[in-house]
Amino acid sequence: MSQPTAPSNPTFDLFNPSEEHAMLRQMVADFTKAEVEPQAEEFDAKECMNIPLFQQLGELGLLGITVPEEWGGAGMDTTAVVIVHHELSKSDPGFCLAYLAHALLFVNNFFYCSTDAQKKRILPKVISGEWIGGMGMTEPGHGTDVLGMTTTAERTEKGWVVNGTKTYITNGPEGHVFMFYAKTNGKISAFLVEDGTPGFSKSHHIPKMGMRASSMSELIFEDCVIPHENLLGEEGGGLIHMMRNLEIERLGLAAMSLGIADRCLELMVKHAAERVAFGQSINRFGQIQRYIGESYAKTEATRALVYTVALSVAPDKHNRLGSDAAKLFAAPVGKEVADNAMQVMGGQGYCREYPVERLLRDAKLLEIGGGTLESHQKNITKDLTRALR
Amino acid sequence: MKIGVLLKQVPASDSRIKINGDQTGIVTDDIKWEINPYDEFALEAGIQLVEGKIASSLVLISLGGKDAEARIKDGIARGVKAKPEAIRLDDAAFAGSDPLGEARIIAAAIQKAGIDLLLTGKQAIDDDNAQVPAMVAELLDRPQVTFVEQLEVAGDSLTAHRVMGGGQVDVVMSPVQAVVTCDKGLNSPRFASLPGIMKAKRAKIAVWGAADLGLDAGTVGAGAAVVSEGAYRLPADRPSGKIIEGADAAAKVKELVRLLRDEAKVL
Ligand SMILES: Cc1cc2nc3c(=O)[nH]c(=O)nc-3n(C[C@H](O)[C@H](O)[C@H](O)COP(=O)(O)OP(=O)(O)OC[C@H]3O[C@@H](n4cnc5c(N)ncnc54)[C@H](O)[C@@H]3O)c2cc1C
Repeated sequence: MSQPTAPSNPTFDLFNPSEEHAMLRQMVADFTKAEVEPQAEEFDAKECMNIPLFQQLGELGLLGITVPEEWGGAGMDTTAVVIVHHELSKSDPGFCLAYLAHALLFVNNFFYCSTDAQKKRILPKVISGEWIGGMGMTEPGHGTDVLGMTTTAERTEKGWVVNGTKTYITNGPEGHVFMFYAKTNGKISAFLVEDGTPGFSKSHHIPKMGMRASSMSELIFEDCVIPHENLLGEEGGGLIHMMRNLEIERLGLAAMSLGIADRCLELMVKHAAERVAFGQSINRFGQIQRYIGESYAKTEATRALVYTVALSVAPDKHNRLGSDAAKLFAAPVGKEVADNAMQVMGGQGYCREYPVERLLRDAKLLEIGGGTLESHQKNITKDLTRALR
Repeated sequence: MKIGVLLKQVPASDSRIKINGDQTGIVTDDIKWEINPYDEFALEAGIQLVEGKIASSLVLISLGGKDAEARIKDGIARGVKAKPEAIRLDDAAFAGSDPLGEARIIAAAIQKAGIDLLLTGKQAIDDDNAQVPAMVAELLDRPQVTFVEQLEVAGDSLTAHRVMGGGQVDVVMSPVQAVVTCDKGLNSPRFASLPGIMKAKRAKIAVWGAADLGLDAGTVGAGAAVVSEGAYRLPADRPSGKIIEGADAAAKVKELVRLLRDEAKVL
């Protein structure tokens, strides 16, 4: 699955800034081709996560990709995160979403707001893949309007008493441990909950259009008592963790759209060269050339934007504008290129025998999850306007 | 017991090969490089022998320029649990060596590194010579077991199953001080891991030249080569297939058999 890529600067390779990045890309691409691609169709149909495959990601050391080496992770940067999501999504965005919910929404987020004792207790299990993690922010009544959340946690002697419901939580059904946000005295705080905690339950799996190789459910808290040591960071400081983590999440999601676009472009170019109609390859028709040409140009623009922004996001470096822009641009490109591929492939594109219909269903989620397109537009306008002052 | 594994950098097996203008080699600009796929079986076998505590240490050896270091690092990243040492053999005097010259360099390195069992791919997929391991064995006066698809090492001896073609298997026993060339089926090579990649970044790769190996520069390199390359050419395009037209299947089969017998001469 080699992709056409823009030639990069000879002194600086934006897509593989170091030899380790190149080796990581090769490793994930090899793994994707050998292990991920062959199961993608099956787990889309089964609508569940491939747990043994997920555990292989642990063996490859990908589950703690951003966690420093002294804590058992790989200590890699945002570009590395982008590389993994980009390569996995060429074959299976649904599986990649389960990976993202674990490695970014849970592990990365947890690492930066936990104490050493919390890290020692949780990290080995989630970095190895023994435990699956997820993150609960969204509620039935509050998605984009996250600050309006109504889940509460009340400090008592026996612990935090939590009440409320989180919904659309990726890895909910399979997950062993979750980070979630709840209001304490009107302010947002972050907590940890382990499966099996009394008063904590999950709904059934919520069926969805795409991304079916990851599953999601509600997380339900009914007078659920959470030990005091499960508060993450400062009481009332949850918003900071939430906002800090959103940048790397959005780049991971944008990289998934890029992976989808790359794969669909490849399929469309190949099909257009091979398919003969009216006595010639269909790539001789101007209308087909428009699909290919525009898909290529937009995919390359996405690649340049996503990898450029990745350079400016790190634990101590922020670029909210960039990460909002990257996801706002990438998500519709992923969907459009998948749709173009389907159009170029005609009936074959629409049939389940080929991966395009699955990739198109998967691509749509990226316009909603991790922030809707509208929320990115809202954030960008706010940040640009603030810069005027 | 010390295991040596030879790693050769070759163009990825799905590369589109183009010949350069003066026909002295291939165009390398767009080539993606990888470890020779058969060497991956040798590497995996070596890692498993160390992990299984049958061997004590693993040494990765590659004859090649600075650009081959990425392949050695790939090997280190995969073999990280076996904590491999790594050596790159490089010297201006080595340039233009023929297979015998390369074998002399490698044999000298095997001796210097104190390797007991040398594992290699059965051939490299770039030039498909399959000569170097055999020559190394001869130069070191050690037994060689080629095309191995199953290998057991116990104490001072090894038992290897060789692929003979036609479903035949040849079972060979040898002292471990041998050269074994590996075929597919021997094992499933592992992927690199991310911790492995991070360790490989910091790994030291020794570079040995002619002087380090005590080699007489006159015995290696272009000057000593007895085999030289004439010119590189792509194989001729395959003639296009033939479609047997007609409505009567029986007649078409008859015609097919006739063509296979009289024209293709395969029956
Ligand atoms: C497959 C999938 C996986 C998910 N995984 C997780 C997860 O693991 N954890 C988690 O916490 N959440 C998860 N979510 C939830 C996701 O983050 C939310 O769906 C998303 O934030 C949008 O919230 P909402 O669905 O409540 O839509 P709403 O916020 O109700 O939005 C509805 C529409 O109104 C628009 N809108 C809302 N506010 C504004 C505004 N101010 N200006 C303009 N337009 C506005 C939106 O853009 C959208 O078009 C997941 C969702 C899906 C579908």
